[in-house]
Amino acid sequence: MVTNARRQRDRVFRVVADPTRREILNILRGGEQTVGGIAQRFRISRPAISKHLRLLHAAGLVETSPLGTATMCRLNAKPLRAIEDWLGDYESFWRDSLESLKKYVEEENK
Amino acid sequence: MSPITVTDHTIVQEVTIKAPAERIFNALTRPAELLKWWNCEGKFQLIHAECDVRPGGGWLMRVQGANCRTGQPESVVSGEYRTVDPPTTLEFTWNRKGEDYPESLVRWDLDEKNGCTTVRVTHSGLISEQMRARNNGWSLILQLMHDYLSHDAD
Repeated sequence: MVTNARRQRDRVFRVVADPTRREILNILRGGEQTVGGIAQRFRISRPAISKHLRLLHAAGLVETSPLGTATMCRLNAKPLRAIEDWLGDYESFWRDSLESLKKYVEEENK
Repeated sequence: MSPITVTDHTIVQEVTIKAPAERIFNALTRPAELLKWWNCEGKFQLIHAECDVRPGGGWLMRVQGANCRTGQPESVVSGEYRTVDPPTTLEFTWNRKGEDYPESLVRWDLDEKNGCTTVRVTHSGLISEQMRARNNGWSLILQLMHDYLSHDAD
């Protein structure tokens, strides 16, 4: 069973693995921006930026709200917690593995 | 068991075992032995192992319940040996099948003194160093994560 948590985590990794999307996050770190305002900072087309924003939005990293005819974008770093959790899984995995190795080797030696 | 250290997304764990380094090196590199110890009741269990123990040689493990948090029933982890220096050093790449995470590196250092061996496992490149260098951007993600988590702890 692939859980939602895992799916969400994979999505976050995929989304932040792209340099353009990371640059968008970097821009939003400085404060809210309109889609147009973000697009101005890039050489690539506005539809391409909109696509990146859609993926960031789907991963929960960017929140949007209408502002007149424009769309305002703001950063939400919360989903990055998934990366921290993933690292935590590895911590306990190695801790358990070493304990098990110790038990196996020492008991066999007796 | 030493406390966990996580620096730049490297996990370091250490344990001292009352046995010679050679004995432990064998336990780390022989499939029949790996199958005997690499499990943790109720959490994960190694069910298949392949080890072509030489630099450039491949390894593969199938682990059941390797990720209890996500409830995934089985994972396949594989990689390539980078350093094989018995009985002190073993280093290999680490890839988990079907996940988007970058390749990472696992290193075992065995230091024997008076019949006891300090075993240190270092898992580095989690949120890969090479990706950080190539794209020069993971530091931003780590910064954002740090910002968020410090805020979260308030």
